[in-house]
Amino acid sequence: MLLETQQLEIISVNIWSILISLANLVIIFLLLKKLLFKPVKKTLAARQAQVDKIYDDAAAAKQTAEADRAEYEQKLADVKAEAEEILTDARERADRMSEEIIGDAKDKAQAKLERAEEEIAQEKKKAMTELKDDVSALSVDIAEKLLGREIDEKDHAELIDKFISEVDDNGK
Amino acid sequence: MSEKTKFRIVDGLLIAMMILPFVAGIVLKILFTPESEGISITGAIVFFEIKMPLQPLQITEAQVNSWLVMVFLVGLCLYLTHGIKVVPDSRRQHVAEWIVEKVEALVSDNMGDKYMAFAPFIAAVLGMSAFSSLSSLLGLFPPTSDLNVVFGWSILVFIIITHYKLKGGVWNYTKGYFEPIPVFAPMNVIGEIATPVSMAFRHFGNVLSGVVISTLIHAALGGLSNVLRVGIPAVFSLYFDIFSGLIQAYIFAMLTMLYISNGFPEEAYEKRMKKKAERERRRREAAALVENK
Repeated sequence: MLLETQQLEIISVNIWSILISLANLVIIFLLLKKLLFKPVKKTLAARQAQVDKIYDDAAAAKQTAEADRAEYEQKLADVKAEAEEILTDARERADRMSEEIIGDAKDKAQAKLERAEEEIAQEKKKAMTELKDDVSALSVDIAEKLLGREIDEKDHAELIDKFISEVDDNGK
Repeated sequence: MSEKTKFRIVDGLLIAMMILPFVAGIVLKILFTPESEGISITGAIVFFEIKMPLQPLQITEAQVNSWLVMVFLVGLCLYLTHGIKVVPDSRRQHVAEWIVEKVEALVSDNMGDKYMAFAPFIAAVLGMSAFSSLSSLLGLFPPTSDLNVVFGWSILVFIIITHYKLKGGVWNYTKGYFEPIPVFAPMNVIGEIATPVSMAFRHFGNVLSGVVISTLIHAALGGLSNVLRVGIPAVFSLYFDIFSGLIQAYIFAMLTMLYISNGFPEEAYEKRMKKKAERERRRREAAALVENK
């Protein structure tokens, strides 16, 4: 034994020791409250607030994004409709134009054809007239030769013409 | 000096604050333990006495060791919450948060959310009890194997229980002793007193029995062969010092919570509060009437 000491019995009750122990527990309770629970709970509350804020921000951002998307979709739909309209317009116009062109072409072709037919008819008429003249002249010649005398061209042309038109009428 | 170095220095000081109490306790133990042959199972060593009325105030090993445990706990709290941040970056902060959350979950499970203010008290009971019992691992005299220490705690718990019971009104509290029939009054009084006594003796007895059995095993094995003293007592110490100590801390905390929450007469308290509010309202009305006149 290094120092003189006395030892307690195993079970000994001392009122002051009990009070000291009681006070110890109260003190450690207050210390724990102040040194452990207060800072930790403060931190947890601050973190919770931060987390809540982040969630709120995220929710707001999501809402904005949704709104933007809806807007873009609306715009896209508008643009599509517009494009469709333009296309339809263009197609209609093209159809109309092509019809016009074809119609024009047809008309022109028709006109040309008619003119050509007219020309042909005129040419035919001309040829006919020429032929008639020739034939009348020829017949006068032939008749001169046959009769041996000159027939007055002017007097007899009328006669021959009449004859030819009768022949012509019969021939037809 | 940079912030980091300062932080490190404070950390070092806090770690010293946790370790040094136990070193001091061991030194005191070595200085004061009487040499003895064979087995001696005695109470705490008395360092000195102060004359006081009724009984002398004894500063015993148990008192000193429980103060050492308190210093350790304060150091632990300061260390765990040192450099606490909203976004945790250290393991110790996780430990601190884990402790707080677990204790609060325990309180809310066993007592309900309105007793949340008890969480630090329960943490104090758990911490003091567990670390006091565990201090025997270092060869110190565990404060919980001294009846006075645990008795102090259980009396504090008894005071809290009675305070909560009295919240239902003095009449309600007194009436409780004469139920179910007035003849039961003595038994009810005994039952009331038995609460702190049983709590104290349960804790004290369990820790003391661990110490006694450890000493006996140590001595018995030494009697057979000194080689057996190595290792084998440690296995028993694992149960008697660590398991038993922690279980007793848990039981003590559990009983504290249950007694307090069960002792609180909720209906009577609410009735009383309603009556009080009514009385207050009437008083105010009367005052208003007087003022109007």
